[in-house]
Amino acid sequence: MSNQYQIAVLGGGPGGYVAAIRAGQLGFKTVLIDKDNLGGICLNWGCIPTKSLLKNAEIYDNIKNHSADFGIKVQGLDFDFTRIIKRSRDIAERMAKNVEILVKKNKVDRIRGFGKFISSNELEILDNNGNKINSISADKIIIATGARPKVLPSIPVDKKFIITSSEAMVLHEVPKEMIIIGAGAIGIEFAYFYSVLGSKVTIVEMMDTILPIEDKEVSETLAKSFKKRGIEIFTKTSVEKAIVNGNKVLVTINSNGKRKELSADKVLNAIGVTGNVEGFGLEELGVELFKNHIKVNKSTYETNIKGIYAIGDVIGPPWLAHVASQEGIHCVEKIKGITVQDIDYTSIPGCTFCQPQVASVGLTEDKAKESGYEIKVGKFPFMASGKAFAIGEREGFIKIIFDAKYGEILGVHIIGSEATEMIAEAGLAKSLEATGESIIKTVHAHPTLAEAFMEAAAQAYGEAIHI
Amino acid sequence: MEIVMPKMGESVSEGTILKWHKKIGEAVKRDEIIFEISTDKVDTEIPSPVEGILSEIRFNEGDTVDVGTVVAIIDSNGEIKKDSSEQKPEVVHQPAVEENKIEESSKHEDKTQSILSNEKIESTRPSANISDSIDLQMPKMGESVMEGTIIKWYKKVGEQVKKDETIFEISTDKVDTEVPSPADGILSEILVAEQETVEVGTVVAKLTTAAKTTQISEPKPEVKKVQQKETKAEKTKKELPSSMHENFSSVKATSLEEEEVGNSSLNKNKSTSKFLSPLVLNIARKENVSFEEIEKIKGTGLEGRVTKKDILNYIEQRNNTKSESGETNIRETQQQIFDETKQEVLSSPSVTPSKVQAVYSSSEVERIPMDIVRQKIMQHMVNSRDTSVHVSAMLEVDMTRIYNFLKANRDEIQRKQGIKLTYMPFVSHACIKALKEFPLVNATIDGTTIVKKKFINLGIAVAMEPNGLIVPNIKNADEKNIVGLARSINELAEKARTKRLTPDDITNGTFTITNYGVFGTIFGTPIINQPEVAILGVGTVVKKPVVVEIEGTDTIAIKPTMALTLSHDHRLVDGMLGGRFLKSIKDTLESFSINEM
Ligand SMILES: Cc1cc2nc3c(=O)[nH]c(=O)nc-3n(C[C@H](O)[C@H](O)[C@H](O)COP(=O)(O)OP(=O)(O)OC[C@H]3O[C@@H](n4cnc5c(N)ncnc54)[C@H](O)[C@@H]3O)c2cc1C
Repeated sequence: MSNQYQIAVLGGGPGGYVAAIRAGQLGFKTVLIDKDNLGGICLNWGCIPTKSLLKNAEIYDNIKNHSADFGIKVQGLDFDFTRIIKRSRDIAERMAKNVEILVKKNKVDRIRGFGKFISSNELEILDNNGNKINSISADKIIIATGARPKVLPSIPVDKKFIITSSEAMVLHEVPKEMIIIGAGAIGIEFAYFYSVLGSKVTIVEMMDTILPIEDKEVSETLAKSFKKRGIEIFTKTSVEKAIVNGNKVLVTINSNGKRKELSADKVLNAIGVTGNVEGFGLEELGVELFKNHIKVNKSTYETNIKGIYAIGDVIGPPWLAHVASQEGIHCVEKIKGITVQDIDYTSIPGCTFCQPQVASVGLTEDKAKESGYEIKVGKFPFMASGKAFAIGEREGFIKIIFDAKYGEILGVHIIGSEATEMIAEAGLAKSLEATGESIIKTVHAHPTLAEAFMEAAAQAYGEAIHI
Repeated sequence: MEIVMPKMGESVSEGTILKWHKKIGEAVKRDEIIFEISTDKVDTEIPSPVEGILSEIRFNEGDTVDVGTVVAIIDSNGEIKKDSSEQKPEVVHQPAVEENKIEESSKHEDKTQSILSNEKIESTRPSANISDSIDLQMPKMGESVMEGTIIKWYKKVGEQVKKDETIFEISTDKVDTEVPSPADGILSEILVAEQETVEVGTVVAKLTTAAKTTQISEPKPEVKKVQQKETKAEKTKKELPSSMHENFSSVKATSLEEEEVGNSSLNKNKSTSKFLSPLVLNIARKENVSFEEIEKIKGTGLEGRVTKKDILNYIEQRNNTKSESGETNIRETQQQIFDETKQEVLSSPSVTPSKVQAVYSSSEVERIPMDIVRQKIMQHMVNSRDTSVHVSAMLEVDMTRIYNFLKANRDEIQRKQGIKLTYMPFVSHACIKALKEFPLVNATIDGTTIVKKKFINLGIAVAMEPNGLIVPNIKNADEKNIVGLARSINELAEKARTKRLTPDDITNGTFTITNYGVFGTIFGTPIINQPEVAILGVGTVVKKPVVVEIEGTDTIAIKPTMALTLSHDHRLVDGMLGGRFLKSIKDTLESFSINEM
């Protein structure tokens, strides 16, 4: 293995491994360096393991709370938490192995180790103990080192009582009480998961609503549903401090000047992530950063240093696996000189896999108004959908925000069962510049939840049939 | 007021009363929940449409009744609420197509519209026994039609009208149509006179209906009477389809053309072979962008598609052009001047600005809309290139005599005549002499006719800061001597710089000289100023070593030298003529004598 490459990719998450595979496909001599299993956070400690955990919760939730509605009798319902966790870990492991194979298949060299810049086109590879085991040079280096949970001094993570998402997905038992700080997608998913399995969950969020980046109406609907489950929610509330005291964590919260003390077995810090930009030579090279992320040209993904590129979580929001992958592909294709349309950052779907699920693409109603659009809003509640009734999933709605002037789809917001699957249609419609009329006139199969998308569009134009 | 079982959707024909929230005799407020119902689609709470006392409950909880059945009565104290805005005709999206359906729904006189679930339900059932007034609006005849003109009123105020009888006729830029009455009644008011144009949705008349309530639907233009209008503008512009479907079918039509040649009705409906997203189509329709224009827009989307961004950029550019020309400023005069100079050979020189090929992010480039002067220059240049067959001939002129003359006399002439002499008047003078000698170079082509001009109006290209160009001409230049030419040149240049040129100054030129030598340029290949047939480019005078023969021996001498280029239109001026013309200028300049002054 000669250690001279055309492209080296540092970090094997969904950003890095996808970039490396694409580079391999395009005929570049490519190397992929990661200190851990391939797949990054997403496959090992993020998207995939959490989604498998959530499926357990969903099944349990349905049996426990809805079996009677369906005429199913259940006795002695119980779960094996160890099996639940193991299932999730097994899946993550299998996926990571598959990625190794995929990478090899695309003629990408794989080096396991910690990569560190020694110049703008050279990396040295260190083992776990910091000993140099290898070094490579490459014409272009793509940084895809991802991000890690943000930690505040006031909430000192000890990984035992005050934990992050990684620990939360491998606990040994279901905590009796859990406080979740931060109501973004990660916090919300764990809230659902542990609440279903019996924890008394409390969510503390600084912003006005849970899932603060989602449409207000969606967030409020979800909050209502969560409260019904017995999840306690504090919004517009900050955490002043969290202290471990024996087997408990005491959390002081402050809501508008009013202090309150909460206690729990576990506190999950889910306040957000910060880029992995330290300790591998970026400072020395003078790679430009902003707010703990690498600054890049969002068309070429090149940093301020020629030949060094960055993609994925390490370049900042929206911190999503599908964005990381897409950026990886774009970056490599641009290096190859292929003309590609820039990623449309206004058409990126975001999903939260609790129940009811939340999914959206584009602007919220408030954001659309703030941006100066005159809007037309169409909404269709699943309560009016026959399919939703049939499957006992009548919660939620689809809401579409149109630009009143040209009929452009500005945003689509779904809360309800299968929302995360249905958003794909909205994404396609938005990125292909469909209008309300095109949605209305697209025949949707009956009976499906997706019909609600058509009806919501129709409702905006006063043509809805079922409401 | 009667409260009926609301209709919760097209397919819902009955509903079950789940719960009464109010008892007989209880007061209810408007929008307060009176009862809860369940239908096969939805469960919902029904709010009261009016304030009053619940005076009667006709069905018990658990009873299932047909939609439209009166389930309760609210005594609203004789206070009759004006019935809500929902009575207003809705904007109908597809004009005319679904007539039957609309008629049918207007037959459902007491159809109660309802809105789902948590949202409040407003009973739209108009109260009986009062004569009602219906607003007749200018109907919407298609997505892009924003206004219409009343052509004719078929009814007078006070006259009886029957439902579906034509009340008035309108004309829009797309169609002419007759508008039928939505109901029986009396035309009580005419608000818009014949020939007046109003926006879609404007109330044009009022109709008083009899003591019967009617669910009003929008006056439907009758399909049969709608005539497609083919205005001239449209023939060139090619109308955009008013719905996506039309477009799809027309797109298909064009692709079919290849197979079914001769299907003239399809062929007539031209469109574009490009895929246009529904959004782009909508924007085009609203902003009146024709298919032809769209064809010219360079798409930056997938597979070169024109995206929303592309068409919006295009519209912005187009608007900038418009708004700038609307400004009264010097530019405008200049534009006018340009327009008048045009004497355009081409009838429609609509040169669309070419789009930057690559996709750049906004951080990489700055996009500046061209001002009108720039656009005109662009048009001119492209037009000239497309009109004339340009060939350029060059030669070098030994300027020693003039150089020496100027060196010796420039200051004195300036003192005496108040004019600073440059090489330009000398070149002009020599050029005029050559033009007289070879009048074909001073001509114009008109079709297959040569228009030889008996006057010489010598154009002088003047550069304008920061970036621009204009060509005023010296009228009857052949009547002037060198100093006179120098004066005229200075005058015109000064007028150009101070933006005081008159249209007369820049029209009717017969030949142009452009002096790029002032920028230090040695050689150039100028573009002909249409409709002339040649242009003389003047290079800078530089001292050069040249071989001269003195008394039979070749020696190297230093000579102030100037290169001249004649770009001539090969359609009329061949190489021989061009060469002779240039040679004539050269000879005149090289043999300059003080007597010519
Ligand atoms: C609990 C949780 C749930 C999530 N759920 C979702 C979801 O449902 N949907 C979604 O879209 N996103 C989800 N995300 C976010 C998603 O995981 C990230 O957006 C995604 O993993 C980012 O990919 P990446 O390639 O940029 O970085 P990462 O996946 O973080 O990969 C970075 C890789 O770089 C390696 N690395 C770092 N530094 C070095 C170095 N110097 N040398 C060698 N290797 C290095 C790391 O070992 C790691 O493998 C979730 C995240 C979490 C934490």
